[in-house]
Amino acid sequence: MEFTGFPYLTAILLSCVTGLLVILFVPDENRSAVKWVSAVFSGLTLALSIAVFLLYDTARGGLQFVERAAWVPSLGIHYLNAVDGFSLPMVLLTGIVFFTGVLTMWELDHRVKEFYAFYFLLVTGVFGLFMSLDLFFIFIWYDVSLFPMYPLIAIWGSTRKEYGAMKLTLYLLAGSALILPAIIFLHVQAGGTTYDITALMQPGTFSAADQKLAFLLLYIGFGILAAVWPFHTWSPVGHVAAPTAVSMVHAGVLMKIGAFGVLRVGMSLCPEGWQFWAPLMATVAVIGIVYGALVALSQTDLKFVVGYSSVSHMGIVGLGLSTLTVDGLNGAVFQMFAHGIMTALFFSAIGYIYERTHTKMIPELGGLSRIMPVASGYFILAALTAVGVPCLASFWGELMVFIAAFRVYPIGGVFAVGGLVLSALFMLRVVQRAFYGPPNDKFVHLTDVSFRLGIPRMILAAVIVLFGLLPSILFDVIDTASVAFIKGLP
Amino acid sequence: MIAVGSTDTTLLAAIAATKLPFVAFAVILLLTRRRPRLSAGLSLTAIAVSLASAGFLLVKHWGIARPIEYAALWLAGGDVSVRVGILIDPLSLIMLAVVAAICLLVQVYSLGYMAGDPGFSRYYAFMSLFAWAMTNLTLAPTLLQLYIFWELVGLASYLLIGFWYEKFSASEAGKKAFVMTRCGDVAFFLGLLLILVHLGNLDIRELNGAAAGRLSPTVVTAGALLIFGGIIGKSAQFPLLTWLPDAMEGPTPVSALLHSATMVAAGVYLFARLFPFFSLSPTALGVCLAVGTVSMLIASTMAMVSRDIKQVWAYSTISQLGLMIMGLAAGNYVAGVFHLTTHAAFKALLFLCSGVFIHAFHSNDMVVIGRQGGRRLRVPMACLVIAAAALSGIPPFSGYFSKERILGALADLPNPLWVAAGLLGAFLTTYYTFRLIFIILFPAPGGEDTAQSHGSEHGHHGGYAVMAWPLVILAAVSVALGFGEKAVAQFLLNPFGSVTPAAAHHAWLPYAALGLSAAAMLLAWFEFGRRGAGQIGFVERVAPLHALFGERWYIDRAYRWLLDQVVYRLFSRLCARNDQKIIDGAVDGLGRVIAAGGGRMSILHTGMVQYRLIVVFVSIALMAIYFFI
Amino acid sequence: MGIPFGYVLALAGIVVVLGMICATTRRNLIMILLGVEVMLNGAAIAFIAAALRWQQLEGQAFVLFIIAIAAAEVSLGLALIVYLYHRTGSLNPEDYQVLK
Repeated sequence: MEFTGFPYLTAILLSCVTGLLVILFVPDENRSAVKWVSAVFSGLTLALSIAVFLLYDTARGGLQFVERAAWVPSLGIHYLNAVDGFSLPMVLLTGIVFFTGVLTMWELDHRVKEFYAFYFLLVTGVFGLFMSLDLFFIFIWYDVSLFPMYPLIAIWGSTRKEYGAMKLTLYLLAGSALILPAIIFLHVQAGGTTYDITALMQPGTFSAADQKLAFLLLYIGFGILAAVWPFHTWSPVGHVAAPTAVSMVHAGVLMKIGAFGVLRVGMSLCPEGWQFWAPLMATVAVIGIVYGALVALSQTDLKFVVGYSSVSHMGIVGLGLSTLTVDGLNGAVFQMFAHGIMTALFFSAIGYIYERTHTKMIPELGGLSRIMPVASGYFILAALTAVGVPCLASFWGELMVFIAAFRVYPIGGVFAVGGLVLSALFMLRVVQRAFYGPPNDKFVHLTDVSFRLGIPRMILAAVIVLFGLLPSILFDVIDTASVAFIKGLP
Repeated sequence: MIAVGSTDTTLLAAIAATKLPFVAFAVILLLTRRRPRLSAGLSLTAIAVSLASAGFLLVKHWGIARPIEYAALWLAGGDVSVRVGILIDPLSLIMLAVVAAICLLVQVYSLGYMAGDPGFSRYYAFMSLFAWAMTNLTLAPTLLQLYIFWELVGLASYLLIGFWYEKFSASEAGKKAFVMTRCGDVAFFLGLLLILVHLGNLDIRELNGAAAGRLSPTVVTAGALLIFGGIIGKSAQFPLLTWLPDAMEGPTPVSALLHSATMVAAGVYLFARLFPFFSLSPTALGVCLAVGTVSMLIASTMAMVSRDIKQVWAYSTISQLGLMIMGLAAGNYVAGVFHLTTHAAFKALLFLCSGVFIHAFHSNDMVVIGRQGGRRLRVPMACLVIAAAALSGIPPFSGYFSKERILGALADLPNPLWVAAGLLGAFLTTYYTFRLIFIILFPAPGGEDTAQSHGSEHGHHGGYAVMAWPLVILAAVSVALGFGEKAVAQFLLNPFGSVTPAAAHHAWLPYAALGLSAAAMLLAWFEFGRRGAGQIGFVERVAPLHALFGERWYIDRAYRWLLDQVVYRLFSRLCARNDQKIIDGAVDGLGRVIAAGGGRMSILHTGMVQYRLIVVFVSIALMAIYFFI
Repeated sequence: MGIPFGYVLALAGIVVVLGMICATTRRNLIMILLGVEVMLNGAAIAFIAAALRWQQLEGQAFVLFIIAIAAAEVSLGLALIVYLYHRTGSLNPEDYQVLK
């Protein structure tokens, strides 16, 4: 057992699990109690995430808040939690999206208790994955966060929900089927004594050939979750089918798990494999950027547009990871954070609009800015973030990634930057069709988002602007990890 | 900011000039949305303080020789760090003063023009956003900061063009403006990356200094051309010029401020900012000169046939920006910058005067305005004539001085083609300007049916006085500015140490230019002004030419075709198809194959308990045989 | 010790085969169950004979287990069959093909 100070990370997990248990014991019919319990526990989780973020010592860097306990000593499995500059933004992101997601679903009235129970389970898995440093636990958390998606989408979803849920689950299981052999392979190659990433990370643990093989498996396995082209088609379908809060977690956090897994497991353990496959990663990422934007151009469903824009934006993350530079890593992790908040805001805004108008089809909307200026404002803010307007969070991530990419892969960099035009084109097209123009007569009686319901969107919008104006808050944290990481490369 | 002590008034004034509008923007958007008067007050206060600070800086640093720079680290990264700060030198001071002054005048004018609009607060918020972005762009010490605010002025432009978003054409124009300038910006951004990769930083002073000598000529040329791509987008030069006429869908004060005087001039400002860098590459300068010339000429031809009063000024803006770029590309720094300054004054004046007419008569059509008695509005009419004279380069108005300088610079070039093009441009400019003036001043009585009104902007009467004062001030400036030519030139050239080599004096040039202007004016008078004139221009008599000019040389059609057919039909459709048919088809196909395989396998399962029993017994028997025999 | 071990084993084999035939050919669930019981008894006979042949008590203990398990199995099996008969009114194994 080794704990340094108050175990914040375990406290975060416990807060989720306790919330889950308490929800299960609240009587079914008492819906508002369920919601309040969820809000309290997710708020507590958010507070703990913020505390961890603030208490992290950037001057010292490295792994902090280490919590280690033997779990199954004979198999070398440890309960090992810690955060570093890569996982810290992700923990904060998860906390924010979790809390705002609970608040966004405040008007839910169909099987409320079950919804929140599954939702808490999902988020527990996500938190565990971001904090864990034990391969075995990473795999377990991956599956914990994966399986609640099926009921969440199939029961509370919309638009071909069974199809979407099934597709998503199958895709992600396929990913996990690639990750598991890779993990076992690495475990065995290292002598079969431990799953501890910090121990396995030591240079010279794996031969170059092993690294190449394992990295490819891990890249594809986690890459499916990060919607890497051409394994992306589950993600727009899943986004569209999922209920609002699940879309938020799904696009905001779950897709980051993929990229984070590539970074934490693949790149940390198999640096030589990473270097070997980096050109492939870059190519695929650039294709994803341009391709996602092009497909988004011809979508008519608001959520599909956002779904494909996510494919495009996750391509930017992939491009950053493939550059093997500090700036690229910084930019990629920052972009993961920014994209998470941005898509959460997107889906939160769409959720409100859908709830009122009962449609997500762009041609049926129109003129919403006049009817619900605030709700439209949130969507437009998110759209501008997606377009890469400076002083909104996403800009800095893209800037850093493009700088790094242009240095390493000039041609790919040119194409990726060219994708900016496309993203401006499809986002503004949606904004114009759905929010501008004369108001639709069918919707003129609708009300704008109230202050109370607007709280989650306000939080997300504020985070976007805060990190857009002061990106160094986040960059300083990420930098501690990425500089050490690049320095440690063979 | 680097701590220089709070007594550093320069820094304080610069911060006040650049940061206050942002405060106004945030406060209006968050708190005072429902209180229009308070919002306007906040915005006006902020920009007034900015102007005062700009004036203070200009006075304090008149005659400044060495640039003053303040910078703070905003973002530290691995290979790149982002610095923000303030760079004060003659160019940025002049531009800052121009920006702040025109912002203030336009905002005052808007009090009358926008009165009663439901989006009044929003309007002032966006105006403040623009003022913030533009002042910071002006004072940027690094190209990266310049790029950031360059994008933000683009955002402000998008929001303000589409301000009346319920009108389809307005939101369409906003989108078009954003996307087209984005195309240029991508080139600009790539140029930045190229320079960053080869030079290591994006400091403007370093780029203009000796450091650029370290770059290979190819890189300099490529970088300069890519950056010029951004200029083409922002300043609406050929071939990205068609967004600017459409941008006139925004409220007229917005057109005056963003789409003529300041924001579109940011492209030219960037050119001037990097003038020494551009000078390193004769190839790049040649391309710039060609692009400027082409833009100037074809925009003038478009202006000759348009009847929409704002469109005419929009084309004229493109053409004048082209002229500035020609001046700079011809190697005359002062000429370009000085024309930028005078143009800002008289073009803003032209738009604001037109705004009064549009406000009064609810029409953008010059014929309708003339017929309904445009000349009865004395102040705007007089100001319009003054501004038109300045635009046409008629002495003693300011345009004369700046234009002569540019023409002089063109005449210095070995190839006489350029000066010929410049003179032709001057002729066309005078022609279309006075065509407009004569149509409004001397409306043809009754006659043909001309009630074709171009979707007028809605507005409310009143506020005439508050709109008139900015006109008078601008008119005075337009007249006076020309006489400050020598002082401004001296001021601008201070940092370069020596004065530019005295240009060869072309005694014939002013006569030629004036003669052409006079000829153009006579032609315009003959066709539009004299009693009983047909009010049909010589271009309009030639149908194909008329169609060509009226359709903007079919540039828009080409873009539309490209977008609809190539991007949407071909690429987008193709990728979406690929997604559905090939990728999803493969995955679903895999699922179907597995399901079908399961179906095949299920034949083995007859479902009868006893068959299974038989299978069990047979297999046991076989195992027994295998083990025992 | 009158009867040779081989004879008893042969008898056990015959009983098992008879049970097998009964279980696989009769079109009645109860008869299938009976066939399985008969097979179990055949096995029990073999165990008893072996216990006698090698003078080991484990064989007899095993038979006790077989009887107990057979009883349990019959009771459970019959209960299921009765339940099925109540639900569907049929004892024909061909009618139970839901899992196909």
